[in-house]
Amino acid sequence: MNFLKKLVPQAAAEVQQLSRSSIHTSVVCCRVQSGRYRITTKRNRALTYEMANPPHFIGHRKSWNSWNTSTLKDALRPSQTAIEDVFIRKFVTGTWHALVCSEIIIKRQHNTIRIAALIRQAITPRKMYFLIGYTEELLSYWMQCPVTLELQTVGDKKDVVFKYI
Amino acid sequence: MSAGLTRLWERLPLKKHAAQSRIRVFSNQDQPEIEDDEEFRVLSLRTVKQQFQRRQQVRRDPITPPRTTRMAVDQDWTAVWPGPRSFHPASVPLPLRQGFTERGAAAPSKFANAELMKIPNFLHLTPPAIRQQCEAIKRFCTPWPKGLETEAKWQRHFPIEVTTTDYCQSLPTIRNPEARKVTVSLKLSDLRFDSHSRDKFLRLVGDRYNKETDILTIVTDRCPQKKQNYDYALYLLTACYHESFVTEPWEETKSEADMEEYLFERNQSKISAEGILNWNAKEGAPKESPSKSYANSVEQLINEGENEYNLGKYKEEVKKMLNIV
Repeated sequence: MNFLKKLVPQAAAEVQQLSRSSIHTSVVCCRVQSGRYRITTKRNRALTYEMANPPHFIGHRKSWNSWNTSTLKDALRPSQTAIEDVFIRKFVTGTWHALVCSEIIIKRQHNTIRIAALIRQAITPRKMYFLIGYTEELLSYWMQCPVTLELQTVGDKKDVVFKYI
Repeated sequence: MSAGLTRLWERLPLKKHAAQSRIRVFSNQDQPEIEDDEEFRVLSLRTVKQQFQRRQQVRRDPITPPRTTRMAVDQDWTAVWPGPRSFHPASVPLPLRQGFTERGAAAPSKFANAELMKIPNFLHLTPPAIRQQCEAIKRFCTPWPKGLETEAKWQRHFPIEVTTTDYCQSLPTIRNPEARKVTVSLKLSDLRFDSHSRDKFLRLVGDRYNKETDILTIVTDRCPQKKQNYDYALYLLTACYHESFVTEPWEETKSEADMEEYLFERNQSKISAEGILNWNAKEGAPKESPSKSYANSVEQLINEGENEYNLGKYKEEVKKMLNIV
């Protein structure tokens, strides 16, 4: 404000008047909540590494869950790719019901889609092999391109817990 | 039973005392049975389970330890990891860690680490793997043509440079509309012109010619295919070149005001200079014409403008021509 006072005395007076009457009664709109977790009183909410780092750390402490060239500048099919990724995520979490312990990572290379995830060892290997084939077959039919599942299994749900808040 | 005993006791009065004591003993023992008999029986319509059955233990197959524990030190890594794949901790015998933690704490290990699975790895492109692949494709390679070793050599044989772009993208389609663009560039000094055709060619190509680098660049993207655009670019180049050698009848009407550059040959200054040189010359004698250096200095003076150097040079030339020392 000081530089304004020096420049134009009249403008400075107006600014002063403005600062007296500028009380905002509206709700603050800059609240950011998505991807952030509240601390519980008992400190027993389990967070994975992915959940423990809020979205603004993407590219610093954690990386993206979808890897493709559609998000580059002037690239083709950005919206279709995003919608397909959402569909793949929903389909995999539903097919591997209560077994997926992490985010589903979708990597696209040329026309191949590679899906990686952490799976709990709660079902027999035989069922797991069936589900892998089932998921790959159906997704490749819908996406019209080869789909590969690259899973890693964990013995217990608590293996993926990074910290408790 | 106690009623029967009482009756027995009444029949045998002599042994009353002994019997009494015996009865007490009996009655003490049999009391629960007596009460059972007298109580109402409960009608149970549902069979209530007396004991909770113990939950059956889920039998799990024993989980095999990670493969890395059984790997030989001198194994063939290209066979373990032949192609691009997400990271798997049980197959990579490296003590990797990734992730940000509080200061002093160790980073999360490779097991159940989603961050390691996210990042692209180059475990399939180790130096031995690349060497193997190069060996495999060596038989499809041909030797470099002789006589084209250096850039200067091959630029003499191939003056035209064609630039196209292919796009690798993670999409179900391999087509990219940007791939149709073709850029053809060449040095204008590689083409042969006379003064008229060069002037006309430059007028035809317009701003596709870069004066500083002497490079002509033609970009074509109006056809849908790369091949068509390439053909079109070469057609444009050929057509412009041949058209520049054609002199149309209306080109003769170009007057002095239309000239973009001062030419000594076409101008009054040449006639004046010849007039001065041939002053008082006899009829039939060979005409003297001004020297080439004089012509150059006049052209320079008018085309580049008057500056100290040009004026000085013009002065020298005039002195030389008129033999003024």
